[in-house]
Amino acid sequence: MSTPVLEARDVSMVFGGLKALQNVSLKLDEGKVVGLIGPNGAGKTTFFNCLTGLYTPTTGSVLLKGDVLPGDPAKVTTAGVARTFQNIRLFPSMTVLENVMVGRHVRMKQGPLASIFHGPGYRKGERAARERSSELLEFVNLPGIEDELARNLPYGDQRRLEIARALATDPAVLLLDEPTAGMNPQETEATRRLILAIRETGVSVVVIEHDIKFIFSLCDSVSVLVQGQLLVEGSPEVVRRDPRVIEAYLGKPPDEVEAEVAAMVEETQHTKAAETTTETTKPEGEQA
Amino acid sequence: MSKIANTVKPFARPLAIVGGVLLIVAALLPWVTFALNSGNYPDRATLQYFDAPFQVTGFRWHMLLLGVLVLVAVFAPIPSKARVIRSLGWGGLAVALINSIFITTEGGGLGAITASDGNVAFGGIVGIVAGLAVIFAGTGLGIELPAKWNIKLARPWAYLVLVVTFAAVLFAVAQTLTAGGQGGPANPYAGGLFLSFLGFAAGLLTALNGFGLIGWISELSEKHRAFSVVVLLACALLLPFTNAGSEYWMTVAANIGIYAATAIGLNIVVGLAGLLDLGYVAFMGIGAVVAANLSGAAASKVGIDLPFPIAAIIAAIIAGIFGAVVGSPTLRVRGDYLAIVTLAFGEIFTRSAQNNIGGLTNGANAIPGVPPLNLFGKEFNETLSIGSVELPAGVLYYVLIVLLVAGVMAIFANLKFSRIGRAWIAIREDEDAARAMGIKTGKAKILAFLVGATLAGLAGAVFAHKNGTVSYESFKFLESVTLLAAVILGGMGSIPGAVLGASLLFVLPEKLREFSDYRLMIFGLALVLIMRFRPQGLVPDRHRRAELAGEDVGGVPVDEVHEHDTKGATA
Repeated sequence: MSTPVLEARDVSMVFGGLKALQNVSLKLDEGKVVGLIGPNGAGKTTFFNCLTGLYTPTTGSVLLKGDVLPGDPAKVTTAGVARTFQNIRLFPSMTVLENVMVGRHVRMKQGPLASIFHGPGYRKGERAARERSSELLEFVNLPGIEDELARNLPYGDQRRLEIARALATDPAVLLLDEPTAGMNPQETEATRRLILAIRETGVSVVVIEHDIKFIFSLCDSVSVLVQGQLLVEGSPEVVRRDPRVIEAYLGKPPDEVEAEVAAMVEETQHTKAAETTTETTKPEGEQA
Repeated sequence: MSKIANTVKPFARPLAIVGGVLLIVAALLPWVTFALNSGNYPDRATLQYFDAPFQVTGFRWHMLLLGVLVLVAVFAPIPSKARVIRSLGWGGLAVALINSIFITTEGGGLGAITASDGNVAFGGIVGIVAGLAVIFAGTGLGIELPAKWNIKLARPWAYLVLVVTFAAVLFAVAQTLTAGGQGGPANPYAGGLFLSFLGFAAGLLTALNGFGLIGWISELSEKHRAFSVVVLLACALLLPFTNAGSEYWMTVAANIGIYAATAIGLNIVVGLAGLLDLGYVAFMGIGAVVAANLSGAAASKVGIDLPFPIAAIIAAIIAGIFGAVVGSPTLRVRGDYLAIVTLAFGEIFTRSAQNNIGGLTNGANAIPGVPPLNLFGKEFNETLSIGSVELPAGVLYYVLIVLLVAGVMAIFANLKFSRIGRAWIAIREDEDAARAMGIKTGKAKILAFLVGATLAGLAGAVFAHKNGTVSYESFKFLESVTLLAAVILGGMGSIPGAVLGASLLFVLPEKLREFSDYRLMIFGLALVLIMRFRPQGLVPDRHRRAELAGEDVGGVPVDEVHEHDTKGATA
């Protein structure tokens, strides 16, 4: 078997006493789309931050094509992992084209002196970057608005601009954090087709998303994170049928829920009783 | 505001006519009832006006012009009528108010601008009423966006328009520089007249902007950029041939130029990279001290006399190194904390220079006797004759500094639209996202400090030779703040903004000499007012304008403006 493009090995992340991720592993093969789902607070974005070097994992490592990635976002991007953010983070007061050209930064070579004097090589590089950026804007279906300020774009266009900016870094792996959040069905469908088109160009993709239908219709494999742990991993078919996933998302069948509610009520009464006891004993504890 | 607009609406047109006529009347009335302590108020504003009632000059001429323009704007079919009228009204109000305040304080009471000893002079009062009337009328006429012209010109005609425009700019600059005359005991009203001129000029320019002329011309010059730069440079070099061509004004202009160059350097750090630097003038100081020590001045501690270009480069490099050192905390501190670090650095420089720590600054004695620059045996502080035209002393310095400013501008513009400049702006906008795009933010920020400090060091070297003395007094905290104010006032990230800001902030003290006690107060008040009404700066950069003017003047949210624009384009 060939080396996966991106591999996370037993990544754990601990914030103080909070175990945000526990031994999460993930393999992404070249030209595939992997979905990452899970309830809110499951650690999906934290996992992304570990993959992109924004966080250094407490234990475990992330490998790109077999090489360990450094713990620095700039270096990770240079190595070939690009991302978008859950809350859109464009450069709002730059134009659409400039935003994408910032993405070209790591693939351009002009140093300070070339930037000051604008020599012949400089112009060539700048023109190439401009052309590539225009192409990418065309690719994500944002033509003809190069000189608009990013802040003035409609929401859906901002999402697509963020994808174009990430693609401008010529990544091997693209990480998309909730790319369809807040979108209507048509826009979601357009995004799905865009991601498939990105896959066609040979870029491997990891997608975080809450829209289960979107994930199952798009991804080659799906990983489910629950409370910082990898619950299930497999093809959409397998994951869809897994009882644990159904439980995490939809809850348990009614009779089981009833039983559980009864148990919870009992437990609450129990705790209350316990609390009363603690309260009465408290003063003693303080004196001691 | 909308309440006023609705009340005034039915009478807006007649009110504008009345206001315009009153502005003209005010211009033709006497303004002062008696000769003031320091002599008659200029422009025949005192009762001496009756000797020749229609010889209108100076600020009264400005009032007259504004009044006529208001009437023209009311009757002529021009775009953005309301905006033009309102701007003219503000201009009239400013002229009337500023002169009235000066006359009142000089004359020791309101009698000076009303009636006293049987003499009446209501020019000021009528002017204020007229200004207010025009402003209200303009508000009542409705709120419009500045007009947009869609006139395309063939190349020769475009060039002609640009040449005429820049010639007009040259004339305006000369007028502004000399407005009110040279301040001092011989001319006690220079400050007032200068402020009044500024009020008039601001009103007129805003009106032209509303009319769409300024937008059109700046688009035109953007399109023919190379040509514009050449013409503008030529115009700057022609300033000595105008009425500003005396030794005094050349010195003032050269000083402004030095600070403008420094302000552009600061604009890289603050405007592009978004790093607040409160001790920036220290880099200029370092440049000046280094250049003075290498100049062969008697008081210098290094006994070598290097030619100016080499000394200037060394000064720039040393200042740049200090810049990188001061910038290095940016790796760890952000925002306010960085500002405190830079503030401390500025203070360290001043204190060590004052106490002669390191023995290079000569402490409180300063380094006097830095020799003037010398090119082909011609000293830069001598007069210069080209053919039969005798140019005043200081012209050569002025030329050198114009070239310096042009060079610094070119560097700034090239950087701004380059890979590095985009990285800086990205860091300013969202540092984390910038890092996620592969930008090494630490290196980029230190580079911003380094480049800014290098430019300041270069300006400092010229400063040392031009002024002949290098003292720590010239590089104190107040100077840093003034430079920062120049950048913010002009518009962060914008080149013409930094030059305009520096010009205003360094001309004003020169002009307001006779109120040295109130100088800083007026200064501060003006800054507060400008920041309240134009937070994006006088000549905002495109990016900043969007960021800070979240609403258009008059409360139209940017989105609506945007829609409005596109509609206009499709229609």
